[in-house]
Amino acid sequence: MFCYNCGCVLSEHDFCTACGADVSLYKRIIYVSNMYYNEGLEKADVRDLSGAIVSLRQSLKFNKNNIDARNLLGLVYFESGEVVAALSEWVISKNLRQDKNIADDYIGKLQSNSARLDSINQTIKKYNQALVYCIQGSKDLAVIQLKKVLSLNPRFIRAHQLLALLYMDSEQWERAERELRKCMDIDRNNTQTLRYMREVELMLIPDDNIRQTGGKRKKDETVRYVSDNEMIIQPLNVKEPKNSGVSTLVNIGIGLVIGLAATYFLMVPAARSNAKTEAQKTIQEISNQSDVKTARIKELENEADKLNGRLEELENRLEGYTGEGGTLEAFDRLLQTAAAYLENHDSMATAVELENILQTVDQEDTSEGFQKLYASLLAAIGPELSRTYYDEAFAFFRQEDYEAAIESFEKAVYYDSTSVDALFYLASSCQKSGDAEKAIENYQKLLNLFPDSNRVRETKRNLKELGVTEE
Amino acid sequence: MINFEEELKKFHPSLEVEDAEDAIYNQDLTDMADLLVKMIKESEKKQEEPRGEARNEV
Repeated sequence: MFCYNCGCVLSEHDFCTACGADVSLYKRIIYVSNMYYNEGLEKADVRDLSGAIVSLRQSLKFNKNNIDARNLLGLVYFESGEVVAALSEWVISKNLRQDKNIADDYIGKLQSNSARLDSINQTIKKYNQALVYCIQGSKDLAVIQLKKVLSLNPRFIRAHQLLALLYMDSEQWERAERELRKCMDIDRNNTQTLRYMREVELMLIPDDNIRQTGGKRKKDETVRYVSDNEMIIQPLNVKEPKNSGVSTLVNIGIGLVIGLAATYFLMVPAARSNAKTEAQKTIQEISNQSDVKTARIKELENEADKLNGRLEELENRLEGYTGEGGTLEAFDRLLQTAAAYLENHDSMATAVELENILQTVDQEDTSEGFQKLYASLLAAIGPELSRTYYDEAFAFFRQEDYEAAIESFEKAVYYDSTSVDALFYLASSCQKSGDAEKAIENYQKLLNLFPDSNRVRETKRNLKELGVTEE
Repeated sequence: MINFEEELKKFHPSLEVEDAEDAIYNQDLTDMADLLVKMIKESEKKQEEPRGEARNEV
Protein backbone atom coordinates (compact mmCIF):
# COMPACT_ATOMS: atom_id res chain seq x y z
CA MET A 1 0.00 0.00 0.00
CA PHE A 2 1.32 3.39 -1.01
CA CYS A 3 0.69 6.89 0.33
CA TYR A 4 -1.79 8.81 -1.81
CA ASN A 5 0.18 12.00 -1.18
CA CYS A 6 3.85 11.06 -1.66
CA GLY A 7 3.69 7.49 -2.99
CA CYS A 8 5.83 6.01 -0.22
CA VAL A 9 5.13 2.60 1.23
CA LEU A 10 2.81 2.92 4.21
CA SER A 11 3.50 1.34 7.56
CA GLU A 12 1.10 0.05 10.20
CA HIS A 13 0.61 3.63 11.45
CA ASP A 14 -2.32 5.86 10.45
CA PHE A 15 -0.01 8.45 8.98
CA CYS A 16 2.61 8.42 6.32
CA THR A 17 6.03 8.06 7.78
CA ALA A 18 7.48 10.02 4.88
CA CYS A 19 5.15 13.01 4.46
CA GLY A 20 3.05 12.78 7.61
CA ALA A 21 -0.27 12.71 5.79
CA ASP A 22 -3.24 11.17 7.60
CA VAL A 23 -3.90 7.86 5.83
CA SER A 24 -6.38 6.29 8.26
CA LEU A 25 -9.40 6.85 6.03
CA TYR A 26 -7.41 5.96 2.94
CA LYS A 27 -6.35 2.69 4.55
CA ARG A 28 -10.00 1.90 5.41
CA ILE A 29 -11.01 2.48 1.83
CA ILE A 30 -8.31 0.11 0.62
CA TYR A 31 -9.40 -2.47 3.18
CA VAL A 32 -13.02 -2.26 2.02
CA SER A 33 -11.88 -2.64 -1.57
CA ASN A 34 -9.91 -5.73 -0.65
CA MET A 35 -12.85 -7.10 1.29
CA TYR A 36 -15.08 -6.80 -1.73
CA TYR A 37 -12.38 -8.41 -3.84
CA ASN A 38 -12.28 -11.39 -1.47
CA GLU A 39 -16.04 -11.63 -1.58
CA GLY A 40 -16.00 -11.52 -5.37
CA LEU A 41 -13.34 -14.20 -5.45
CA GLU A 42 -15.42 -16.48 -3.22
CA LYS A 43 -18.51 -15.95 -5.35
CA ALA A 44 -16.61 -16.59 -8.55
CA ASP A 45 -15.26 -19.75 -6.97
CA VAL A 46 -18.78 -21.14 -6.54
CA ARG A 47 -19.85 -19.91 -10.01
CA ASP A 48 -21.99 -17.07 -8.69
CA LEU A 49 -20.74 -14.90 -11.52
CA SER A 50 -23.39 -12.19 -11.13
CA GLY A 51 -22.60 -11.81 -7.45
CA ALA A 52 -18.89 -11.82 -8.21
CA ILE A 53 -19.34 -9.04 -10.77
CA VAL A 54 -21.23 -6.90 -8.22
CA SER A 55 -18.59 -7.44 -5.53
CA LEU A 56 -15.65 -6.83 -7.86
CA ARG A 57 -17.18 -3.67 -9.30
CA GLN A 58 -17.76 -2.52 -5.75
CA SER A 59 -14.14 -3.26 -4.96
CA LEU A 60 -13.02 -1.20 -7.95
CA LYS A 61 -15.26 1.67 -6.90
CA PHE A 62 -13.30 1.86 -3.70
CA ASN A 63 -9.92 1.31 -5.30
CA LYS A 64 -9.51 1.52 -9.05
CA ASN A 65 -5.93 0.38 -8.67
CA ASN A 66 -6.95 -3.01 -7.28
CA ILE A 67 -5.40 -4.90 -10.18
CA ASP A 68 -6.36 -8.34 -8.94
CA ALA A 69 -9.99 -7.31 -8.65
CA ARG A 70 -9.94 -5.80 -12.13
CA ASN A 71 -8.29 -8.83 -13.70
CA LEU A 72 -10.73 -11.16 -11.94
CA LEU A 73 -13.64 -9.00 -13.12
CA GLY A 74 -12.33 -9.36 -16.65
CA LEU A 75 -12.17 -13.14 -16.23
CA VAL A 76 -15.72 -13.28 -14.87
CA TYR A 77 -16.97 -11.17 -17.77
CA PHE A 78 -15.15 -13.47 -20.19
CA GLU A 79 -16.70 -16.54 -18.57
CA SER A 80 -20.18 -15.09 -18.92
CA GLY A 81 -19.56 -14.39 -22.61
CA GLU A 82 -19.01 -10.64 -22.30
CA VAL A 83 -15.70 -10.65 -24.12
CA VAL A 84 -15.50 -6.92 -24.91
CA ALA A 85 -16.15 -6.00 -21.30
CA ALA A 86 -13.46 -8.45 -20.22
CA LEU A 87 -11.05 -7.02 -22.76
CA SER A 88 -11.76 -3.49 -21.52
CA GLU A 89 -11.00 -4.42 -17.91
CA TRP A 90 -7.76 -6.14 -18.88
CA VAL A 91 -6.63 -3.19 -21.04
CA ILE A 92 -7.28 -0.75 -18.17
CA SER A 93 -5.53 -3.11 -15.80
CA LYS A 94 -2.51 -3.26 -18.08
CA ASN A 95 -2.42 0.54 -18.29
CA LEU A 96 -2.52 0.84 -14.53
CA ARG A 97 0.27 -1.66 -14.02
CA GLN A 98 2.41 -2.44 -17.03
CA ASP A 99 4.79 -4.94 -15.46
CA LYS A 100 4.05 -8.30 -13.92
CA ASN A 101 0.38 -8.12 -14.87
CA ILE A 102 -1.47 -11.31 -15.83
CA ALA A 103 -3.89 -9.22 -17.91
CA ASP A 104 -1.08 -8.98 -20.41
CA ASP A 105 -1.27 -12.75 -20.89
CA TYR A 106 -5.03 -12.70 -21.26
CA ILE A 107 -4.91 -9.97 -23.92
CA GLY A 108 -2.04 -11.72 -25.66
CA LYS A 109 -3.98 -15.00 -25.83
CA LEU A 110 -7.01 -13.29 -27.32
CA GLN A 111 -5.06 -11.22 -29.83
CA SER A 112 -2.81 -14.06 -30.94
CA ASN A 113 -5.83 -16.02 -32.20
CA SER A 114 -7.33 -13.62 -34.74
CA ALA A 115 -9.85 -16.22 -35.94
CA ARG A 116 -11.17 -16.59 -32.41
CA LEU A 117 -11.41 -12.82 -32.00
CA ASP A 118 -13.22 -12.53 -35.31
CA SER A 119 -15.60 -15.29 -34.27
CA ILE A 120 -16.30 -13.46 -30.99
CA ASN A 121 -17.03 -10.25 -32.89
CA GLN A 122 -19.39 -12.08 -35.24
CA THR A 123 -21.15 -13.57 -32.23
CA ILE A 124 -21.71 -10.15 -30.73
CA LYS A 125 -23.00 -8.76 -34.02
CA LYS A 126 -25.41 -11.65 -34.40
CA TYR A 127 -26.64 -11.17 -30.86
CA ASN A 128 -27.28 -7.48 -31.52
CA GLN A 129 -29.09 -8.42 -34.74
CA ALA A 130 -31.22 -10.93 -32.84
CA LEU A 131 -32.12 -8.19 -30.38
CA VAL A 132 -33.17 -5.97 -33.29
CA TYR A 133 -35.32 -8.81 -34.64
CA CYS A 134 -36.97 -9.16 -31.24
CA ILE A 135 -37.78 -5.47 -31.11
CA GLN A 136 -39.15 -5.63 -34.66
CA GLY A 137 -41.30 -8.62 -33.72
CA SER A 138 -39.47 -11.13 -35.94
CA LYS A 139 -39.19 -13.67 -33.17
CA ASP A 140 -38.55 -16.70 -35.37
CA LEU A 141 -35.61 -14.95 -36.99
CA ALA A 142 -34.36 -13.91 -33.57
CA VAL A 143 -34.50 -17.53 -32.36
CA ILE A 144 -32.53 -18.71 -35.40
CA GLN A 145 -29.95 -15.96 -34.92
CA LEU A 146 -29.58 -16.70 -31.22
CA LYS A 147 -29.07 -20.40 -31.92
CA LYS A 148 -26.23 -19.44 -34.25
CA VAL A 149 -24.78 -17.15 -31.57
CA LEU A 150 -24.87 -19.92 -28.98
CA SER A 151 -23.33 -22.43 -31.35
CA LEU A 152 -20.37 -20.05 -31.68
CA ASN A 153 -20.24 -18.96 -28.05
CA PRO A 154 -22.14 -21.36 -25.76
CA ARG A 155 -21.24 -19.33 -22.64
CA PHE A 156 -23.03 -16.15 -23.72
CA ILE A 157 -25.49 -15.82 -20.81
CA ARG A 158 -27.43 -12.89 -22.23
CA ALA A 159 -28.06 -14.82 -25.44
CA HIS A 160 -29.30 -17.82 -23.44
CA GLN A 161 -31.58 -15.57 -21.42
CA LEU A 162 -32.97 -13.84 -24.50
CA LEU A 163 -33.58 -17.18 -26.19
CA ALA A 164 -35.31 -18.48 -23.06
CA LEU A 165 -37.47 -15.35 -23.01
CA LEU A 166 -38.45 -15.94 -26.63
CA TYR A 167 -39.33 -19.56 -25.86
CA MET A 168 -41.37 -18.44 -22.89
CA ASP A 169 -43.18 -15.94 -25.06
CA SER A 170 -44.08 -18.72 -27.49
CA GLU A 171 -44.99 -21.00 -24.53
CA GLN A 172 -42.25 -23.50 -25.28
CA TRP A 173 -41.63 -23.98 -21.62
CA GLU A 174 -39.42 -27.04 -21.82
CA ARG A 175 -37.06 -25.38 -24.25
CA ALA A 176 -37.00 -22.25 -22.11
CA GLU A 177 -36.17 -24.40 -19.09
CA ARG A 178 -33.35 -26.07 -21.01
CA GLU A 179 -31.83 -22.70 -21.90
CA LEU A 180 -32.18 -21.44 -18.35
CA ARG A 181 -30.50 -24.59 -17.03
CA LYS A 182 -27.58 -23.84 -19.33
CA CYS A 183 -27.49 -20.28 -17.92
CA MET A 184 -27.44 -21.69 -14.40
CA ASP A 185 -24.61 -24.03 -15.27
CA ILE A 186 -22.55 -20.96 -16.14
CA ASP A 187 -23.88 -18.50 -13.59
CA ARG A 188 -25.77 -20.05 -10.69
CA ASN A 189 -27.14 -16.97 -9.06
CA ASN A 190 -28.18 -14.69 -11.88
CA THR A 191 -31.30 -12.88 -10.70
CA GLN A 192 -32.83 -12.66 -14.15
CA THR A 193 -32.25 -16.36 -14.81
CA LEU A 194 -33.78 -17.30 -11.47
CA ARG A 195 -36.81 -15.12 -12.15
CA TYR A 196 -37.37 -16.70 -15.55
CA MET A 197 -36.83 -20.15 -14.11
CA ARG A 198 -39.47 -19.60 -11.45
CA GLU A 199 -41.94 -18.58 -14.16
CA VAL A 200 -41.08 -21.61 -16.28
CA GLU A 201 -41.35 -24.00 -13.34
CA LEU A 202 -44.74 -22.56 -12.49
CA MET A 203 -45.91 -23.34 -16.00
CA LEU A 204 -44.37 -26.79 -16.04
CA ILE A 205 -45.64 -28.02 -12.63
CA PRO A 206 -49.28 -28.99 -13.26
CA ASP A 207 -50.55 -28.91 -9.65
CA ASP A 208 -49.26 -25.45 -8.95
CA ASN A 209 -50.56 -24.28 -12.24
CA ILE A 210 -54.04 -25.54 -11.42
CA ARG A 211 -53.89 -23.89 -8.06
CA GLN A 212 -53.00 -20.60 -9.67
CA THR A 213 -55.74 -20.82 -12.26
CA GLY A 214 -58.34 -21.54 -9.56
CA GLY A 215 -58.79 -25.21 -10.45
CA LYS A 216 -60.30 -24.46 -13.79
CA ARG A 217 -58.51 -27.37 -15.40
CA LYS A 218 -59.51 -29.91 -12.81
CA LYS A 219 -62.21 -31.21 -15.09
CA ASP A 220 -59.76 -31.69 -17.93
CA GLU A 221 -57.20 -33.40 -15.69
CA THR A 222 -54.61 -32.51 -18.29
CA VAL A 223 -52.21 -29.71 -19.04
CA ARG A 224 -51.92 -28.56 -22.60
CA TYR A 225 -49.14 -26.49 -24.04
CA VAL A 226 -47.52 -26.02 -27.39
CA SER A 227 -43.97 -27.18 -27.99
CA ASP A 228 -42.69 -26.31 -31.47
CA ASN A 229 -45.59 -27.16 -33.73
CA GLU A 230 -46.98 -29.88 -31.45
CA MET A 231 -49.69 -29.65 -28.85
CA ILE A 232 -48.47 -31.47 -25.74
CA ILE A 233 -51.22 -32.93 -23.55
CA GLN A 234 -49.83 -33.98 -20.20
CA PRO A 235 -52.03 -35.85 -17.69
CA LEU A 236 -52.17 -34.25 -14.26
CA ASN A 237 -52.42 -37.20 -11.95
CA VAL A 238 -49.61 -39.12 -13.49
CA LYS A 239 -46.23 -38.46 -11.98
CA GLU A 240 -43.03 -39.71 -13.37
CA PRO A 241 -41.53 -42.15 -10.91
CA LYS A 242 -38.21 -41.03 -9.59
CA ASN A 243 -35.70 -43.23 -11.30
CA SER A 244 -33.15 -44.87 -9.11
CA GLY A 245 -29.88 -46.09 -10.53
CA VAL A 246 -31.11 -49.68 -10.63
CA SER A 247 -34.33 -48.84 -12.44
CA THR A 248 -32.35 -46.77 -14.93
CA LEU A 249 -30.11 -49.74 -15.62
CA VAL A 250 -33.16 -52.00 -15.89
CA ASN A 251 -34.76 -49.54 -18.32
CA ILE A 252 -31.58 -49.39 -20.39
CA GLY A 253 -31.49 -53.20 -20.40
CA ILE A 254 -35.13 -53.39 -21.50
CA GLY A 255 -34.41 -50.80 -24.17
CA LEU A 256 -31.47 -52.83 -25.43
CA VAL A 257 -33.56 -56.02 -25.48
CA ILE A 258 -36.34 -54.26 -27.36
CA GLY A 259 -33.79 -52.78 -29.75
CA LEU A 260 -32.22 -56.18 -30.40
CA ALA A 261 -35.64 -57.78 -30.82
CA ALA A 262 -36.68 -55.03 -33.24
CA THR A 263 -33.42 -55.54 -35.13
CA TYR A 264 -34.00 -59.30 -35.28
CA PHE A 265 -37.68 -59.14 -36.22
CA LEU A 266 -37.53 -56.16 -38.56
CA MET A 267 -34.07 -55.88 -40.02
CA VAL A 268 -33.14 -59.56 -40.35
CA PRO A 269 -36.27 -60.52 -42.34
CA ALA A 270 -35.77 -57.42 -44.47
CA ALA A 271 -32.16 -58.42 -45.10
CA ARG A 272 -33.24 -61.99 -45.89
CA SER A 273 -35.95 -60.71 -48.18
CA ASN A 274 -33.42 -58.50 -49.96
CA ALA A 275 -31.02 -61.42 -50.35
CA LYS A 276 -33.84 -63.60 -51.66
CA THR A 277 -34.93 -60.90 -54.09
CA GLU A 278 -31.35 -60.55 -55.30
CA ALA A 279 -31.07 -64.31 -55.75
CA GLN A 280 -34.38 -64.40 -57.63
CA LYS A 281 -33.19 -61.61 -59.87
CA THR A 282 -30.00 -63.53 -60.59
CA ILE A 283 -31.97 -66.71 -61.30
CA GLN A 284 -34.32 -64.76 -63.55
CA GLU A 285 -31.38 -63.30 -65.46
CA ILE A 286 -29.76 -66.72 -65.84
CA SER A 287 -33.11 -68.19 -66.91
CA ASN A 288 -33.55 -65.46 -69.51
CA GLN A 289 -30.06 -66.07 -70.82
CA SER A 290 -30.76 -69.81 -70.89
CA ASP A 291 -34.03 -69.22 -72.81
CA VAL A 292 -32.20 -67.11 -75.35
CA LYS A 293 -29.54 -69.77 -75.75
CA THR A 294 -32.13 -72.54 -75.99
CA ALA A 295 -33.97 -70.63 -78.69
CA ARG A 296 -30.70 -70.13 -80.52
CA ILE A 297 -29.88 -73.82 -80.26
CA LYS A 298 -33.35 -74.69 -81.58
CA GLU A 299 -32.89 -72.32 -84.46
CA LEU A 300 -29.48 -73.77 -85.27
CA GLU A 301 -30.87 -77.31 -85.04
CA ASN A 302 -33.64 -76.39 -87.49
CA GLU A 303 -31.07 -74.86 -89.77
CA ALA A 304 -28.92 -77.99 -89.47
CA ASP A 305 -31.98 -80.16 -90.29
CA LYS A 306 -32.69 -78.04 -93.34
CA LEU A 307 -29.08 -78.26 -94.44
CA ASN A 308 -29.10 -82.01 -93.89
CA GLY A 309 -32.28 -82.30 -95.97
CA ARG A 310 -30.70 -80.18 -98.63
CA LEU A 311 -27.55 -82.31 -98.48
CA GLU A 312 -29.62 -85.48 -98.78
CA GLU A 313 -31.51 -84.03 -101.71
CA LEU A 314 -28.28 -83.03 -103.40
CA GLU A 315 -26.83 -86.46 -102.71
CA ASN A 316 -29.93 -88.03 -104.23
CA ARG A 317 -29.64 -85.77 -107.22
CA LEU A 318 -25.99 -86.63 -107.53
CA GLU A 319 -26.89 -90.28 -107.20
CA GLY A 320 -29.49 -89.67 -109.92
CA TYR A 321 -26.79 -88.33 -112.15
CA THR A 322 -23.99 -90.73 -111.30
CA GLY A 323 -25.72 -93.90 -110.02
CA GLU A 324 -26.99 -96.95 -111.80
CA GLY A 325 -29.73 -95.92 -114.21
CA GLY A 326 -28.79 -92.29 -113.59
CA THR A 327 -28.83 -89.47 -116.07
CA LEU A 328 -25.16 -89.77 -116.83
CA GLU A 329 -25.52 -93.46 -117.52
CA ALA A 330 -28.60 -92.81 -119.67
CA PHE A 331 -26.70 -90.09 -121.51
CA ASP A 332 -23.87 -92.51 -122.05
CA ARG A 333 -26.23 -95.15 -123.37
CA LEU A 334 -27.87 -92.57 -125.64
CA LEU A 335 -24.47 -91.67 -127.07
CA GLN A 336 -23.66 -95.30 -127.60
CA THR A 337 -27.06 -95.82 -129.31
CA ALA A 338 -26.47 -92.79 -131.55
CA ALA A 339 -23.00 -94.10 -132.40
CA ALA A 340 -24.42 -97.55 -133.19
CA TYR A 341 -27.15 -96.05 -135.41
CA LEU A 342 -24.63 -93.95 -137.32
CA GLU A 343 -22.55 -97.01 -137.80
CA ASN A 344 -25.26 -99.61 -138.66
CA HIS A 345 -28.41 -97.59 -139.58
CA ASP A 346 -30.42 -100.21 -137.70
CA SER A 347 -33.58 -98.30 -136.94
CA MET A 348 -35.37 -101.05 -135.06
CA ALA A 349 -32.48 -101.76 -132.71
CA THR A 350 -32.07 -98.04 -132.15
CA ALA A 351 -35.78 -97.70 -131.43
CA VAL A 352 -35.65 -100.56 -128.93
CA GLU A 353 -32.62 -99.03 -127.24
CA LEU A 354 -34.26 -95.61 -127.13
CA GLU A 355 -37.34 -97.12 -125.50
CA ASN A 356 -35.09 -98.83 -122.94
CA ILE A 357 -33.29 -95.56 -122.21
CA LEU A 358 -36.58 -93.72 -121.82
CA GLN A 359 -37.75 -96.27 -119.27
CA THR A 360 -34.70 -95.66 -117.04
CA VAL A 361 -34.92 -91.83 -116.92
CA ASP A 362 -37.53 -89.18 -116.78
CA GLN A 363 -36.99 -87.14 -119.89
CA GLU A 364 -37.88 -83.93 -118.09
CA ASP A 365 -35.03 -84.42 -115.62
CA THR A 366 -32.49 -84.79 -118.40
CA SER A 367 -30.35 -82.03 -119.79
CA GLU A 368 -31.14 -79.96 -122.88
CA GLY A 369 -28.36 -81.70 -124.82
CA PHE A 370 -29.75 -85.11 -123.93
CA GLN A 371 -33.22 -84.08 -125.05
CA LYS A 372 -31.92 -82.58 -128.34
CA LEU A 373 -29.86 -85.68 -129.12
CA TYR A 374 -32.78 -87.93 -128.24
CA ALA A 375 -35.13 -85.87 -130.45
CA SER A 376 -32.63 -85.82 -133.34
CA LEU A 377 -32.11 -89.56 -133.14
CA LEU A 378 -35.83 -90.16 -132.98
CA ALA A 379 -36.35 -87.85 -136.01
CA ALA A 380 -33.67 -89.73 -137.92
CA ILE A 381 -35.12 -93.17 -137.33
CA GLY A 382 -38.78 -91.98 -137.11
CA PRO A 383 -39.98 -92.18 -140.77
CA GLU A 384 -38.37 -95.52 -141.46
CA LEU A 385 -39.60 -97.00 -138.24
CA SER A 386 -43.06 -95.52 -138.79
CA ARG A 387 -43.22 -97.16 -142.18
CA THR A 388 -42.26 -100.49 -140.68
CA TYR A 389 -44.94 -100.23 -137.99
CA TYR A 390 -47.44 -98.96 -140.61
CA ASP A 391 -46.86 -102.02 -142.81
CA GLU A 392 -47.17 -104.33 -139.85
CA ALA A 393 -50.32 -102.57 -138.68
CA PHE A 394 -51.90 -102.59 -142.12
CA ALA A 395 -51.37 -106.37 -142.29
CA PHE A 396 -53.22 -106.71 -138.95
CA PHE A 397 -55.93 -104.38 -140.28
CA ARG A 398 -56.51 -106.59 -143.29
CA GLN A 399 -56.68 -109.61 -141.06
CA GLU A 400 -59.26 -107.61 -139.03
CA ASP A 401 -57.07 -107.93 -135.95
CA TYR A 402 -57.88 -104.42 -134.94
CA GLU A 403 -56.38 -104.53 -131.47
CA ALA A 404 -52.93 -105.37 -132.82
CA ALA A 405 -53.48 -102.95 -135.69
CA ILE A 406 -54.28 -100.12 -133.23
CA GLU A 407 -51.10 -100.81 -131.27
CA SER A 408 -48.93 -100.76 -134.37
CA PHE A 409 -50.65 -97.73 -135.91
CA GLU A 410 -50.11 -95.85 -132.66
CA LYS A 411 -46.40 -96.60 -132.88
CA ALA A 412 -46.38 -95.55 -136.55
CA VAL A 413 -48.05 -92.22 -135.60
CA TYR A 414 -45.66 -91.83 -132.69
CA TYR A 415 -42.56 -92.21 -134.87
CA ASP A 416 -43.94 -90.11 -137.74
CA SER A 417 -46.55 -87.64 -136.71
CA THR A 418 -46.87 -86.42 -140.35
CA SER A 419 -48.15 -89.79 -141.55
CA VAL A 420 -51.81 -89.03 -142.49
CA ASP A 421 -52.54 -92.60 -143.51
CA ALA A 422 -51.28 -94.03 -140.22
CA LEU A 423 -53.51 -91.60 -138.34
CA PHE A 424 -56.51 -92.34 -140.58
CA TYR A 425 -56.18 -96.09 -140.19
CA LEU A 426 -55.64 -95.77 -136.48
CA ALA A 427 -58.99 -93.97 -136.26
CA SER A 428 -60.57 -96.47 -138.64
CA SER A 429 -59.23 -99.41 -136.56
CA CYS A 430 -60.69 -97.83 -133.45
CA GLN A 431 -64.04 -97.39 -135.24
CA LYS A 432 -64.04 -100.97 -136.37
CA SER A 433 -63.02 -102.27 -132.97
CA GLY A 434 -66.02 -100.38 -131.50
CA ASP A 435 -64.03 -97.67 -129.70
CA ALA A 436 -66.06 -94.81 -131.18
CA GLU A 437 -64.75 -92.19 -128.79
CA LYS A 438 -61.11 -92.83 -129.64
CA ALA A 439 -62.02 -93.08 -133.33
CA ILE A 440 -63.73 -89.64 -133.27
CA GLU A 441 -60.75 -88.18 -131.44
CA ASN A 442 -58.28 -89.39 -134.06
CA TYR A 443 -60.51 -88.36 -136.97
CA GLN A 444 -60.86 -84.88 -135.59
CA LYS A 445 -57.12 -84.70 -135.00
CA LEU A 446 -56.59 -85.58 -138.64
CA LEU A 447 -59.03 -82.87 -139.77
CA ASN A 448 -57.27 -80.33 -137.62
CA LEU A 449 -53.70 -81.25 -138.56
CA PHE A 450 -54.19 -82.09 -142.21
CA PRO A 451 -57.29 -80.25 -143.46
CA ASP A 452 -56.10 -80.42 -147.11
CA SER A 453 -55.18 -84.10 -147.27
CA ASN A 454 -56.86 -86.66 -149.48
CA ARG A 455 -58.24 -88.51 -146.43
CA VAL A 456 -60.53 -85.62 -145.44
CA ARG A 457 -63.61 -86.76 -147.37
CA GLU A 458 -63.38 -90.28 -146.00
CA THR A 459 -62.80 -88.96 -142.53
CA LYS A 460 -65.87 -86.77 -142.68
CA ARG A 461 -67.98 -89.66 -143.99
CA ASN A 462 -66.80 -91.93 -141.19
CA LEU A 463 -67.49 -89.22 -138.64
CA LYS A 464 -70.98 -88.92 -140.09
CA GLU A 465 -71.38 -92.62 -139.65
CA LEU A 466 -70.30 -92.25 -136.06
CA GLY A 467 -73.00 -89.59 -135.62
CA VAL A 468 -70.70 -86.57 -135.62
CA THR A 469 -72.13 -83.83 -137.80
CA GLU A 470 -69.91 -81.18 -139.25
CA GLU A 471 -70.63 -77.77 -137.93
CA MET B 1 -46.36 -13.30 -15.10
CA ILE B 2 -43.41 -12.04 -17.13
CA ASN B 3 -44.17 -9.38 -19.73
CA PHE B 4 -42.12 -10.02 -22.81
CA GLU B 5 -42.01 -6.40 -23.92
CA GLU B 6 -40.94 -5.18 -20.50
CA GLU B 7 -38.31 -7.87 -20.19
CA LEU B 8 -37.00 -7.10 -23.67
CA LYS B 9 -36.25 -3.55 -22.57
CA LYS B 10 -33.76 -4.93 -20.04
CA PHE B 11 -31.64 -6.39 -22.84
CA HIS B 12 -29.14 -3.98 -24.41
CA PRO B 13 -26.92 -4.37 -27.44
CA SER B 14 -23.57 -5.86 -26.59
CA LEU B 15 -20.41 -3.88 -27.22
CA GLU B 16 -18.56 -4.91 -30.32
CA VAL B 17 -14.77 -5.23 -30.39
CA GLU B 18 -14.46 -2.05 -32.49
CA ASP B 19 -16.28 -0.14 -29.77
CA ALA B 20 -14.00 -1.38 -27.00
CA GLU B 21 -11.60 1.57 -27.36
CA ASP B 22 -14.36 4.14 -26.85
CA ALA B 23 -15.73 2.15 -23.94
CA ILE B 24 -12.32 2.14 -22.26
CA TYR B 25 -11.79 5.89 -22.77
CA ASN B 26 -15.26 6.77 -21.59
CA GLN B 27 -15.10 4.63 -18.47
CA ASP B 28 -15.29 6.67 -15.32
CA LEU B 29 -12.37 5.50 -13.26
CA THR B 30 -12.93 7.77 -10.33
CA ASP B 31 -12.87 5.78 -7.10
CA MET B 32 -13.45 6.43 -3.43
CA ALA B 33 -9.72 6.92 -2.86
CA ASP B 34 -9.68 9.71 -5.47
CA LEU B 35 -12.66 11.35 -3.82
CA LEU B 36 -11.01 11.08 -0.40
CA VAL B 37 -7.77 12.60 -1.61
CA LYS B 38 -9.72 15.36 -3.32
CA MET B 39 -11.71 16.04 -0.17
CA ILE B 40 -8.59 16.08 1.99
CA LYS B 41 -6.82 18.42 -0.40
CA GLU B 42 -9.84 20.72 -0.57
CA SER B 43 -10.16 20.81 3.21
CA GLU B 44 -6.42 21.53 3.52
CA LYS B 45 -6.79 24.30 1.00
CA LYS B 46 -9.70 25.79 2.93
CA GLN B 47 -7.68 25.65 6.13
CA GLU B 48 -4.73 27.40 4.48
CA GLU B 49 -6.79 30.19 2.91
CA PRO B 50 -8.00 31.85 6.20
CA ARG B 51 -4.42 31.73 7.53
CA GLY B 52 -3.12 33.43 4.43
CA GLU B 53 -5.80 36.13 4.62
CA ALA B 54 -4.96 36.70 8.28
CA ARG B 55 -1.27 37.06 7.49
CA ASN B 56 -2.12 39.56 4.78
CA GLU B 57 -4.20 41.53 7.22
CA VAL B 58 -1.25 41.55 9.63
